[in-house]
Amino acid sequence: MTLTSAVSRAALAGGLLLAGTSLSSAEELTLWTLNFSSEASNEAFNKITSGFEAANPGVKVTIVTRGTDDHKTAIRVAAGTDKGPDIYFMWAGLGLGGEYVKAGLSLPLDKYYAEYKWDDELVPAAASFSRIYEGGRHGVPFTFKGEALYYNKALFEKAGITGTPANYDELVVDAEKLKAAGIPAIAFGGTVNWHVMRLMDVILEAKCGADKHDALMNMTVDWTKEACATDSFAELDKWAKNYILSPFMGIDQAQSFNLFVAGRAAMMLEGDWLVQQLAEAGNLDDYDLFPFPTGTNRLYGFAEYHYVSTKSKNPDLAAKFLDYFNSTEVQQSVLGKFSTSSINKHVVYDNLRPMDKKWLDIFNTYDKVYMNGDQAFPLDVTTEYFRVINEVASGNMAPADAAAALQTFIANKG
Amino acid sequence: MASRAIWSDTRVQAALLLGPALVIYVVFAVFPMLDVIWLSFFKWNGLDPVKVYVGSANYVDVFTKDPVFWVAFRNTVIWTALSVAIPPMIGLALALGLNQPIFGRNTLRAVYYLPVIIAPIAVATMWRWMYDPFFGLFGQILTSLGLQSWVMDWLGDRDIALYSAFGAYVWQSVGFSMVLFLAGLQGVNKSLVEAARIDGAGRWAIFRYVTLPALRTTLTIVLVLAIISSLKAFDIVYGLTGGGPAQSTQMLALWAFTQSMQIFDFGRGSAISVVLLGVTLAIVIPYMRWTQKREEASE
Repeated sequence: MTLTSAVSRAALAGGLLLAGTSLSSAEELTLWTLNFSSEASNEAFNKITSGFEAANPGVKVTIVTRGTDDHKTAIRVAAGTDKGPDIYFMWAGLGLGGEYVKAGLSLPLDKYYAEYKWDDELVPAAASFSRIYEGGRHGVPFTFKGEALYYNKALFEKAGITGTPANYDELVVDAEKLKAAGIPAIAFGGTVNWHVMRLMDVILEAKCGADKHDALMNMTVDWTKEACATDSFAELDKWAKNYILSPFMGIDQAQSFNLFVAGRAAMMLEGDWLVQQLAEAGNLDDYDLFPFPTGTNRLYGFAEYHYVSTKSKNPDLAAKFLDYFNSTEVQQSVLGKFSTSSINKHVVYDNLRPMDKKWLDIFNTYDKVYMNGDQAFPLDVTTEYFRVINEVASGNMAPADAAAALQTFIANKG
Repeated sequence: MASRAIWSDTRVQAALLLGPALVIYVVFAVFPMLDVIWLSFFKWNGLDPVKVYVGSANYVDVFTKDPVFWVAFRNTVIWTALSVAIPPMIGLALALGLNQPIFGRNTLRAVYYLPVIIAPIAVATMWRWMYDPFFGLFGQILTSLGLQSWVMDWLGDRDIALYSAFGAYVWQSVGFSMVLFLAGLQGVNKSLVEAARIDGAGRWAIFRYVTLPALRTTLTIVLVLAIISSLKAFDIVYGLTGGGPAQSTQMLALWAFTQSMQIFDFGRGSAISVVLLGVTLAIVIPYMRWTQKREEASE
């Protein structure tokens, strides 16, 4: 073998090696999501990506995390370019996730739902958000959060309340009993607009019913022509004046939680994440919960989703990754890392605390949801919705004027 | 020889010294400003590939349909008027006091200046806690004095929230005015003060006819800076109230940010920014020309 041929062979071998390396890393997948405050969540994400890479040799999964606002901005910047993620995190709902769907950034996943039989795996309430968009099913659930009324058992007992209310009117009666006993019925923090908004959302569901509520949120009916809308604002006004621990407009949600734990108010309208917070702050046995009694058999909640980008060069691989991510085996292995409960209905829960079990029963009971107003409305309407709610809750706007103000804004939006 | 002559030309030297800064200024200040003006004539949400030209529609919407714009405008005017009057006045009083040979004056100067170096968002966080109606400092003090009925929802009551936020702003900004006035006071001719005193002038007369005229340039700088910083007031309000309750403490700068970066209506946000720019120029330029003429007339 001459020196020349040896060099040539070495070069060829090197070339093949490089080519091989190139081939093996040809399949890359990028997922953009939020920073996780919990180290357990970061570890769970790393575990999932490593597992997927091991099960699919040659595939490299890159997770890019950012703060909430940076994440939203990054997706908008990427929207104007050919670059961007294969999969991105976003809340479900017409207001947030829906905006990106409307802009054509989300790939319809109907064929993957059928191919991977995701509906057989997913908690129905969590999966239901994928159907709210036009033009097919978009995104798959990452987490699902239900919201309900937590209550302080001792304060309920002190007020002579022996059972949980079966409907909205009974809830108001209980709130009145609490007031008579000198106990503020519920705590809210007004500086974060979305907290008091929750009360308006659930009252709207109770007073208007499911269909009308959805129509109002979809802005397909006139807020001023639906008496239930004005009635709902009137109820909000009543709660603000009589039953909410005051003052509440100048404190935030975290402070309202401190007040609730301190026994200054009997109830909080919070999500399933509160169970862990209550466990850390006090004795879980002191509290219990029940879904807000709207009478519509729908659960109040919201979901966080993973969407496949229309700009993904490998949507099949993205769908495969999401299938792996949400599979029973993987979800079982990371149970409790992202949320109290899994979006996979086959996951087995051991050693559940009573309140966790109650949540699980709730999730398995409800197959329909109505979502938070800030995720149902477009962003500009959400901002006005916040303003109007806060004006009513502060006693600065009459309920009838509130419906008119919101409708005027919607009409001006065109 | 010719090249040496070129390099020794003061105009060339000036151009060389100013050039880099000018390039940076054009790229990072002038161009974005022009881009914002341009964007204010378009409808764009940052997602759509095409910006839609809408003419003056964003301005019309802002002036006639936006339920918050005029609240933000009014608040900005109130904030500016208060900013021009109160912090400079307190700053001047502090400077006059700390210009006297009193014990520990350097320490006191540092203490009064300290809030200036704290980030406004940190100041907001501190004051938010102090304003907390349940556990806050003011509530505790009033309660301990038996004045519980005086405890208010400082940041939640729309009638007082703006002024509560302004209180935090005053605490943070008086030190800056004080330092400028202190610097100005070092330029007051001591022989003139002494001469006035020998002529029988009292403290007020010395201040009115000797000290104050000598501080005219400093006063102009302090007021112009107060106007500019108050017109673009953002961070402390954002940190304290976020514009609430019910947008009652919104400011033009914060509302422009909200429209662009939270609602993602870049056209409308740009239109509000252009209005704010116009208001700023409409106030600052005539004021500076007026003070310039007065200074020229007095020379």
